[in-house]
Amino acid sequence: MPEALRHELSDYVLDLRWSAQGRFLAAIPSQGAIVVFDALGAKLRELPGHVGGNGSIAWHPRQDILTTYGQDAVIRSYSLPAGNLVQAFSLEKGWAERVAWNPSGTMLAACVGKKLHVLDGVSGEIRQVFSEHRSTVSDIVWHPSNADEIASVCDGGAQLWKVGTERPIARFDWGGASLRVYWSPDGRWIITGDQTPSVHLYDVRADYPLHIQGFQTKVKSMAWQGSGEWLAVAGGPDVTLWPCSGKTGPEGVNPKQLNGHSAEVTALDFKPEGTYLASGGRDGLVLLWRHHQAKQPAVIARSAVPISVVRWSPDGETLAFGTSGGQVLLFKLAAAVSSR
Amino acid sequence: MKTPVTILTGYLGSGKTTLLNRILTEQHGLRIAVIENEYGEVGVDHELVLNAEEEIFEMNNGCICCTVRGDLIRIMGSLMNRRDKFDHIIIETTGLADPGPVVQTFFVDEDMKDQFVINAVVTVVDARHIWLSLGKEGEASEQIAFADLILLNKSDLVAPADLDRLEARVKSMNHVAKIYRAVRAGIDIARIFEVGGFNLEHAIGVDPRFLEPEYPFEWGGVFELSAGTATFTATECPDPTMRLVLIPVGAGDVDALTSARDQAVRLFSSLKVRVLRSGAVVVAGPELQELVLQEGLMSWPIEVPADGHYALFTQHYPEELDLRLYSAGKEANASSAAAFKPDHEHDDQVGSVGIEEMRECDGPKLDAWLSRLLQERGQDIFRMKGVFAVHGNPDRIIFQGVHMLLDAQSGGPWGARKRKNSLVFIGRDLNREELVAGFRSCLKL
Repeated sequence: MPEALRHELSDYVLDLRWSAQGRFLAAIPSQGAIVVFDALGAKLRELPGHVGGNGSIAWHPRQDILTTYGQDAVIRSYSLPAGNLVQAFSLEKGWAERVAWNPSGTMLAACVGKKLHVLDGVSGEIRQVFSEHRSTVSDIVWHPSNADEIASVCDGGAQLWKVGTERPIARFDWGGASLRVYWSPDGRWIITGDQTPSVHLYDVRADYPLHIQGFQTKVKSMAWQGSGEWLAVAGGPDVTLWPCSGKTGPEGVNPKQLNGHSAEVTALDFKPEGTYLASGGRDGLVLLWRHHQAKQPAVIARSAVPISVVRWSPDGETLAFGTSGGQVLLFKLAAAVSSR
Repeated sequence: MKTPVTILTGYLGSGKTTLLNRILTEQHGLRIAVIENEYGEVGVDHELVLNAEEEIFEMNNGCICCTVRGDLIRIMGSLMNRRDKFDHIIIETTGLADPGPVVQTFFVDEDMKDQFVINAVVTVVDARHIWLSLGKEGEASEQIAFADLILLNKSDLVAPADLDRLEARVKSMNHVAKIYRAVRAGIDIARIFEVGGFNLEHAIGVDPRFLEPEYPFEWGGVFELSAGTATFTATECPDPTMRLVLIPVGAGDVDALTSARDQAVRLFSSLKVRVLRSGAVVVAGPELQELVLQEGLMSWPIEVPADGHYALFTQHYPEELDLRLYSAGKEANASSAAAFKPDHEHDDQVGSVGIEEMRECDGPKLDAWLSRLLQERGQDIFRMKGVFAVHGNPDRIIFQGVHMLLDAQSGGPWGARKRKNSLVFIGRDLNREELVAGFRSCLKL
């Protein structure tokens, strides 16, 4: 068993995020202090939680700046390792869950209620408010490389926005509600996880929609391998892997199935160089799948409570995961993984 | 353990918020989270009152019966991601909300289904003003139809006889709900927390009339009239006409009313009807008559042959047209009265149908029938519940439905209880004969 470091947070671990260079790991519980660890897993800083509950965290893509957001609709940014508050902006009140930095670090986006706010990354001035949403915005994602394009989801699917243009530059409305949105690293695909147990894929360049259904539950986690060759999706105890690099993406292709969990899979993450997929489930298991092989996943951990998130460090040497009981665990995996 | 959820509905001004404040301030030792609609008015400084803006998510299959409340899924999902759990969650809906999507949320969304169980839909009714909304299409009827517990609030502002009539009327719409009368939403809070879901045993156990057939009239009452000319007065009402019979009976009690009921049923089925415009004479005898309800205030003289008791059976509730009866210069009040379950001629009405059968069901047939029924009639069936004795299965099988959604689970072994099937439908335009025939076709031969 690889060596582990364990920490207890005040509550359910909503997310874990490694800083761009992997020097820090931030952990956000559903309520209470947000904690920053160093790369070895030592606790560095405790940052204040948000009144009414925490929402999300995002690292600046180039600097060691951590931004936190929550139900008080306040965006706070801290410089690490000192933990100094460098910026704080308040938005109007509303359901406030997601904050995200654009890929160049020049702009910050946060959704609140039915609006998506884009702020200047330095001055904090509001650059634009996108308000054409049918319902509360539940997730946002920046284009992986175009610094001014962002997608949001709500009831009515996904909207694609460009800073400087008022109206959406594209809409992917499939007639239902989308809850989560992901963008493939090559920028080709926007994927939504929906209220009905389904996934919608949009080939942005070809304006071509695809639809995957048949999941047992709502899709709570997805992960991209490499620049977008494979998409891992979980909506139930099985993980399905879809090849996405072909001309028509996953259309007409039988996915690979990974069955190793006895309960719903809630967390997925590919090792940065793409050889391993880590999965975490409500059964408390953290499994490691090698080269998409369905057989014999390595059991990294057995937790007594459900796993809520798994994240590889940028160098692929450490796997961090969080549980619904508030534990954060870090595994040094280099040795274990290379021995397989 | 699933966390129980109570859904609180009722028109603005019904006393819903008063009830909520009572629940929150009373010492019951429960940790309660409240999800309030955006325009809520809870005055209580409570540690966990969350605001929700009603957001209906339609499903991509286009079925309106499968709509859910996206805001609730989001808020309750985030509530359950907390270590400090709640003993109970109360969802307050806006006065005009259709309870359907709220209830459906707990049937459709797997996460909600896994973590929560509906304890009760509680509907608060303003006893003074509810008459205006009953019988019409819309939320008031749906809120009553969906309820597990109905609070007839402001009961001190309504005459006792009117309250009895209101209760009878509400009961005719929803036989499953427990009905309590209250002043300023005063109810033992334990009663709200103990409902424990759609209460079938209550429906069938407490009110055997529930299993009775439908009648061509909604209301009957016995009046003492003096010989000579009495008078009916009425005001305009949504129905253009109303049929009635007025027949002599031996006494003024319920037994007299009951004994006259069968005669009234026969008279209502006669082909000959006397149509009476305002001013035409009503006969107090075995004859079916129909009042024409034009605009404004109307009156009809009544020929009363002799002093005595007379049973009046009316197609609609007298309140709907403000029907009054005057004899010997003063208003006559019914010495006994009863509401009758209207038959399907009144198909715009919300009503309940209960069925009880002792023979075992054939599992696959039952499955097929219920699925098809809810598919075809789900729009009009608001709620359904059944406890079934399925051939070859030692357990009680419990089905629950809301519109087109159906959920089945085991209710544990029958044990010493007698194996039988009980089911109930609450909905609009329900056809008892059709439902009974459909269910009988599922019985094991």
